[in-house]
Amino acid sequence: MQYLLLIYGSEERWEALTPEEERAVYARYGELERELAARGGLTGGAELRPAATATTVRVRDGETLVTDGPFAETREQLGGFFQVECESLEEALEIARRIPAAEDGAVEVRPQHVRAAP
Amino acid sequence: MKYLLLLTNDADEIASWEHLTPEEARRADEESEPVWNAAIARMSERGRLLGGLELAPPSAAKTVRGRGGELLVTDGPYAETREQLGGYFLVECESLDDAIAMAELVPVARTGAVEIRPLVTEEERP
Repeated sequence: MQYLLLIYGSEERWEALTPEEERAVYARYGELERELAARGGLTGGAELRPAATATTVRVRDGETLVTDGPFAETREQLGGFFQVECESLEEALEIARRIPAAEDGAVEVRPQHVRAAP
Repeated sequence: MKYLLLLTNDADEIASWEHLTPEEARRADEESEPVWNAAIARMSERGRLLGGLELAPPSAAKTVRGRGGELLVTDGPYAETREQLGGYFLVECESLDDAIAMAELVPVARTGAVEIRPLVTEEERP
């Protein structure tokens, strides 16, 4: 089963980091990424530019409405994700706990949609 | 340029799925498949699709948060918002205009929203 681990953190806090602190956080992510790659089943991932660069698209009655900013303003912002293949939700949660942002932000774990058997 | 398209559904629509019988859910999946396949084919004219995933409803989410040095796991998504993440596409295209053109073809753009987020590139990392 594929799980999406959505990484939420405060951009304000991120921007306040010194270059050394930023490098240290990147090093932790790099280490986790290498470990997940070695384990197998790391099937996707991305680091996003700040939420201020978001563009949201809605189509209503055939008209396309384009707005600047994310679809929802939240206290912390989506900064990236990992997609991993796991045996169980517990395994996905174990990985989520190891993501640095879990400590001072949040990591949302979402299983993939399973289509009903015919 | 790579963009993440975050596909969101309206809360009322998500709630309506909770009442579907397994047979109704199966039929809804079957009916939506050709619609999505047609959208994906048209999107591919404006950029490359590199990945994507359809998610189980937000009720299946768990959230891990740090509190006072401990990590707590709670039921449900990170935020209870009017629109909720239902899946994503990772795309590569020439410009934000192409990403917008791809986003407006996504079926959920008509009922929910598609948020476009540019990715941080390798060169931008320290």
